[in-house]
Amino acid sequence: MSAPTARRVEPTTEVPISVTVNGHAVEAVVPARQLLADFLRDELRLTGTHVGCEQGICGACTINLDGEPVRSCIMLAAQVDGSSITTVEGLASEGLSPLQQAFKDNHGLQCGFCTPGFLMTLSTVDPDEYPGTEGIREAISGNLCRCTGYGGILQAVRTAWNRTEDG
Amino acid sequence: MGSTFELGARPVYTGTHVTRAQDDSLLSGQGTYVADLHRDGMAEMAVVRSTVAHGRITAVRTAEAAAVDGVIEVITAADLTDVSPYPNFASAYTQTPGTFPLAQDKVRYVGSPVAVVLAEDRYIAEDAAELVVVDYEELPAVISLEDALEPDSPRLFEDWPDNRLLDLQPDDSEVAAILAGSRVFRRRYKMGRHTAMPMETRACMAEVRDDRLHLWCTNQHAHIARTTLSYVLPVAERDIRVVIPHVGGGFGLKQHLYPEDVLASWLALRHRRPVRFVEDRAEHMIAAAHARDHMMDMEAAIDDDGRILAIRVQVVQDLGSAEIFPGAWCPALTTAAHMTGPYDIGQCVVSVAAVTTNKTPGGSYRGFGVPEAVFAVERFIDEIAQEVGVNRLDLRRSMLLQPEDLPYTTASGALLDSGSFAESFEKVVELAEPAYRRAEAQYGADPQSRVGVGYAVLFEGVSPTHHGASAHWAGHESCSIEVQPDGGVRVASGVTDQGQGTTTFVATLAADALGVPIETVHVELADSDSTPYGLGAFGSRQAVVGGGALLLAAGEVRDKVKKIAAHMLEATEDDLVIEAGRVHVAGSPAPAVTMAEIATTAVIRTIDLPPGMEPGLEATARYEPELMEHVPDENGRINPNAAYANAAHAAVIRVDVGTGEIEVLNYILAHDCGRVINPPIVDGQIWGGIAQGVGGTLYEDLRFNDLGQPQTAFMDYLVPSAIEMPEVVIEHFESPSPNTPLGIKGVGEGGTVGPAAAIGNALAHALAEFKPQIRETPLSPAVVRAMIGDQQT
Repeated sequence: MSAPTARRVEPTTEVPISVTVNGHAVEAVVPARQLLADFLRDELRLTGTHVGCEQGICGACTINLDGEPVRSCIMLAAQVDGSSITTVEGLASEGLSPLQQAFKDNHGLQCGFCTPGFLMTLSTVDPDEYPGTEGIREAISGNLCRCTGYGGILQAVRTAWNRTEDG
Repeated sequence: MGSTFELGARPVYTGTHVTRAQDDSLLSGQGTYVADLHRDGMAEMAVVRSTVAHGRITAVRTAEAAAVDGVIEVITAADLTDVSPYPNFASAYTQTPGTFPLAQDKVRYVGSPVAVVLAEDRYIAEDAAELVVVDYEELPAVISLEDALEPDSPRLFEDWPDNRLLDLQPDDSEVAAILAGSRVFRRRYKMGRHTAMPMETRACMAEVRDDRLHLWCTNQHAHIARTTLSYVLPVAERDIRVVIPHVGGGFGLKQHLYPEDVLASWLALRHRRPVRFVEDRAEHMIAAAHARDHMMDMEAAIDDDGRILAIRVQVVQDLGSAEIFPGAWCPALTTAAHMTGPYDIGQCVVSVAAVTTNKTPGGSYRGFGVPEAVFAVERFIDEIAQEVGVNRLDLRRSMLLQPEDLPYTTASGALLDSGSFAESFEKVVELAEPAYRRAEAQYGADPQSRVGVGYAVLFEGVSPTHHGASAHWAGHESCSIEVQPDGGVRVASGVTDQGQGTTTFVATLAADALGVPIETVHVELADSDSTPYGLGAFGSRQAVVGGGALLLAAGEVRDKVKKIAAHMLEATEDDLVIEAGRVHVAGSPAPAVTMAEIATTAVIRTIDLPPGMEPGLEATARYEPELMEHVPDENGRINPNAAYANAAHAAVIRVDVGTGEIEVLNYILAHDCGRVINPPIVDGQIWGGIAQGVGGTLYEDLRFNDLGQPQTAFMDYLVPSAIEMPEVVIEHFESPSPNTPLGIKGVGEGGTVGPAAAIGNALAHALAEFKPQIRETPLSPAVVRAMIGDQQT
């Protein structure tokens, strides 16, 4: 952190973007170096997207970008010009979606910090491509949870996807 | 325990799956974690951290950083003239590190805070932090605990005689005499360094409102944090408010009041503007508490059947730099208190040393010394069985505490008043042996695979005194209950919720104890202005002591409800039943009075109260478990917990002899935490605990090189994903404690304490042909592959 020869790059460049977030059109001018997660959280105040590692490992910041699960902590806000984003706030128009409800009913969350990332990853997944409990494990293997040991999460997804424990 | 700890006459929620009230907001992105807080004019901190493990600071050059646009101030220790070092209340038996929020003359680990940049936003603060130049005169670093114990080792604290912060050598003459006349078995075990790694890093936001300091933080204790801030900062305690909003997992790591909490508070007071610090993960790897890093040297006198007659242990804990508050030596004492396991071993003496090294300070982590003890004791028993040539299950059976042995006081003084030690073990054996045979059938023909099953049986102290860690606070918890005029209930307690379900158990017990619908209960936690002084979350304590305080307060309120209702209904109190928010005579639902009518009478229409009755319908109670001891007796014996949970663990594993990779196929656990309040929450605690135990055993490793440079980035710190997590089978036993409210014991740590031992024993079983020495964790593929060596054909 204290490398003596580091030179500062002036953060002067700004980029205009036009993006749809949870169905709403957003026009903004963002600093070129601003992370997408920081844009969502600090500028749009959509703080349901959580930042757990800032290096693309934990998956807590996952959003749905044009149908793909994307780590918003390793993408720049400037890169999403023209895209459509869904965050956890946009998953249900009111109340809880069936998947969210299944997480609640099956104790699929404890601290809740990683939960939006799991929900957003799962929102992009075709269940048929991930058969059985092993398939669910694979589908969520890019998201880390430190509280649940995944037991409640697996049960929640099985419930939401109408699966039994064996498959 | 008498009649004071009672649910109401008709409990409907306790023991059922009450879903959690906060889940709707957490699931829809409406939670409020500290990093989500935003204030107009909020400034942000970035911390300049030491890049050397051990060195004298010769200069800190801040001018260039201070000149950056958007930087408000850059501070060093020299600026903190009105700040006091963290106190040490254990100076009678420990050395004092004199921890200060910013390094003064020396740094003692990579990551130690040296300076702080306060700027308009975090981007600018980080830019400027890179421009702060610190000059060091580097000193030789002490890296391993073995090095720290050497008499000629460099010292971290030059005014100490050595690197031993704690060094307790009890009289071992009785055990020595037994050892001298017996067959002696010796082993050394070590547990590596890993940590809690909550998905939310540490964070705080300090602001001054109405001339008072308000600190929003991720700490596990609102009141202990407030008091500690008053010790360190020049602010009266009455002028400090600590609030803990949603927290993304604590696991003990967030028990400590870290320098950043003090620094953000100091800067907010100085600049009269909100100051936020959100730790990034790279910082977290080196600056948030590490844990474990223990060595256990075991010597046992054994008989011809392998039974342990007496045991002598030296526990050494590597504290890192020890610059943390509360101090982190208590896990070693906890390890010492668990060195007999749930076995009838009458003679056990443990010496304890806690040493300083030039690494990140160790601290609290779920399990808190118990995983280390269980790993050592349970590996030791398997190794004795192998050496003597007896069955490892039968050796355990010959020593395990039986129901008729209870209550049993262990050699260290722990009072095991109840439990299912032998029964839980037999249940796990019954389930694990078939699972092992299935694994054998599946993989037996595969030359690349070996399968094994391993066991661990354990007791675990829960709801401990805080005194072991702080030598200051003790063990109480508190609760206030108020019934409001509309019949709704406000419960305020000193316990806190990091996601484990505290809020839900409080609502559950309150609703049942008062006989009201749970929807009418509002729970208030973790705000030091609006909750009574309590000690918060640590050591699987909250349901025990938080539950106790709640039931005491609810009992007082319930008694008054009945008195008022009896007056209103012209009935006899003893004939009344409270249920679903109404009071009526038992057996006849009408007439009835509602809680709203009773509370309205109590606080508004007080003229209608029984003659002479004081207005109001509220109570505050405090509960301090009476059998919990805080200070050892003259022989070093202590019963430091309100209760003791127990469990038996079994792991069935497959080892790939080509790669050394371990796959945990089945994990079977029989757990006994006394009375269960909410079954899915209990299971969730156990699953999560197992995941952390498996991670610490197989994957998670915080390594340092010879210069004390951390070698583990988050990318290399392998928190288990859903792929690595085995199938888990949980069996419950319920042995209520006769000494706790409702017989409740804690469950927060039970899953974490066994996996190292169970998996270690399973590995020994699987690789028996290679005669592996399994005495350390983590058991990474490289370590396991080295055990197999070139013996594989």
